[in-house]
Amino acid sequence: MFFNGNTFWFLNGIIFVVIVFALKAFAENKGWVMTWWKWLLSGIWYLIFCTGFYAWGTLIGENFPMPGFRFFLFNTFLSLILGVGLWRLLAIKPKTEA
Amino acid sequence: MSEEKNAKLSRRDFLKIAGLAGVAVQAGGLIAGGVAAGSDKESYTGWESFNPSTMFFNREPFRIESPAHKPVGEVRQPSHITDYVFGRVAMFQKALMEKPEWTIGDSVDELPMPPPVVAFYKQYPERMEWDYKTFTETIPNHDKDYEKYGNYFILAEVYRSGFAYHGGNLPKAHTPPEHSDFHQMVAGGPGAPLQEVPIPEPVPFKSPDLAAELIKELAHRYGATMVGITKPNIDFFYGDSWGGTDSDYDHSKLPEHWKYAIVIGVPMEWDQIVAGPQFTASYDAYDRVSTAGVRIEGMLKGLGYAARANTPMTHYDCLTPPHAIEAGLGEVGRPGYCITPEAGGNSRMAVIVTNLEMTVDKPIDIGVEAFCNKCKICAEQCPSGAISMADSPEEQEWGTGSVLRGYEHWYINNGACYNYWRESMGNLGCRHCVSVCPYTRKDNWLHDMARELDPRDPTGVVSSGLLWMQKNFFDYPESIEYKRPEEGGHFAVYGPEPYYMDVEKFLDIPFTNPSAGVK
Repeated sequence: MFFNGNTFWFLNGIIFVVIVFALKAFAENKGWVMTWWKWLLSGIWYLIFCTGFYAWGTLIGENFPMPGFRFFLFNTFLSLILGVGLWRLLAIKPKTEA
Repeated sequence: MSEEKNAKLSRRDFLKIAGLAGVAVQAGGLIAGGVAAGSDKESYTGWESFNPSTMFFNREPFRIESPAHKPVGEVRQPSHITDYVFGRVAMFQKALMEKPEWTIGDSVDELPMPPPVVAFYKQYPERMEWDYKTFTETIPNHDKDYEKYGNYFILAEVYRSGFAYHGGNLPKAHTPPEHSDFHQMVAGGPGAPLQEVPIPEPVPFKSPDLAAELIKELAHRYGATMVGITKPNIDFFYGDSWGGTDSDYDHSKLPEHWKYAIVIGVPMEWDQIVAGPQFTASYDAYDRVSTAGVRIEGMLKGLGYAARANTPMTHYDCLTPPHAIEAGLGEVGRPGYCITPEAGGNSRMAVIVTNLEMTVDKPIDIGVEAFCNKCKICAEQCPSGAISMADSPEEQEWGTGSVLRGYEHWYINNGACYNYWRESMGNLGCRHCVSVCPYTRKDNWLHDMARELDPRDPTGVVSSGLLWMQKNFFDYPESIEYKRPEEGGHFAVYGPEPYYMDVEKFLDIPFTNPSAGVK
């Protein structure tokens, strides 16, 4: 089955690379300086964000669509809150030398 | 010229749009990928393959010192006619038939039952009340319910029948251990009956480690999903009957050749087990674990070692959960049975005793007791209140309090449990505590994450968070909804029945769905 196979995850990897470049372009537009820890935090945030979608689908597959949807809402809410915090962190400018 | 330039998409804007589109595609793809992961039959632990990969949880970081069971009071061996519910209710039913005028208000001494059964009922009066209700109310009511609703659940019964038919034909021990365990049945030639012959001289192993390694590998290939090795403990062997023995046999000490115990476990089918109580079945796992057990017995005898399989379809000389716990397969949970990391409560067990020297496993601590103390979902959901609602095993409010036959652990009121067995539709039995247990989860990324995180979290925050989600995101019928319509229920089920049990789809028979019209 395609959605459970290696091709699916390979394509996901390609899309993820596009998303990384998009974030880079977005950050440049905003004038953010992306340090390693900002990339790391962004990656973790995106992983948490994606977990909601994947878990929703998994629980649909297990015949528990409503618990899956509730988890998705909960996770999305959590991602929004964390996202606000991340946004502020991404905007931090590195200390300039005196 | 400048207008033309503005109309063109810059590289940066293109990337931003592509990134946003990527997020949307990935989100949709992950949902579809999730559906595939959730419905993947490879996640059906124990039903996907016959190899050691079924035992995927790494127990080594969680090993604790043996034994897991330490007596805290006077130890009593279990009894086939009192503790074992089928043996007890058979005695009680026979007595009621002989003395039909007896009622629950009369003295139990008036019933023609063996003294141990009378003594048991005096010690556990609540179980006598439940057993009395079972035979005087529940079974007659069930017969009426079956006439009305039986057809709707008939495929659950038929599915069971295939396994029961096969399992019923597995070889059983008909002589005492000193004889049967040292003999095997071999084909006497085409058309000739099987012949009983002594087992050959034992084939020596290079080491107990290698013996354990080989036996475990073969056990998986014979159909065991989980396997562990321990030493048999007489405290958990029945004190009144073993296969092939009579009443004057000494059941108070282990035969000398019962030196090691191979414990195996097999889960019941996953789509069925969530459709508890009405569409679940034990016999699939009974048959599979019994078949694996008998195969292991045959293999050991072929190697020249004495062996006896204690399985649900042949005979149990012993209790399986304590041996499974000592062998490191899992921990005792609130419903009194062994909760394993791979299959939760969804495990049917067998014990093969032998004189082959093997390295034994240590018990594990993955935090089941702490989790069960705060979870209570099985107790809240149990249709007959057979599972304790106490906050810990020490606070159990019934029977002999915290201690059962000399050991402190969770145990159920098996009279109340059996009562709902006789009320429910579909297969005989219930298994609803297995259905709703948060540990009873398939093998996919979502549940594996919980499996791996929770035992490693010393704070309990992970288990509390998971439990909060379990209780708030999942819908459970009220426990009364599982009961018969005349008692306020509608024979509810927790999860949807598997499509292969859909009478409307497959069978040309009239039926009444007791849950029709219920939201």
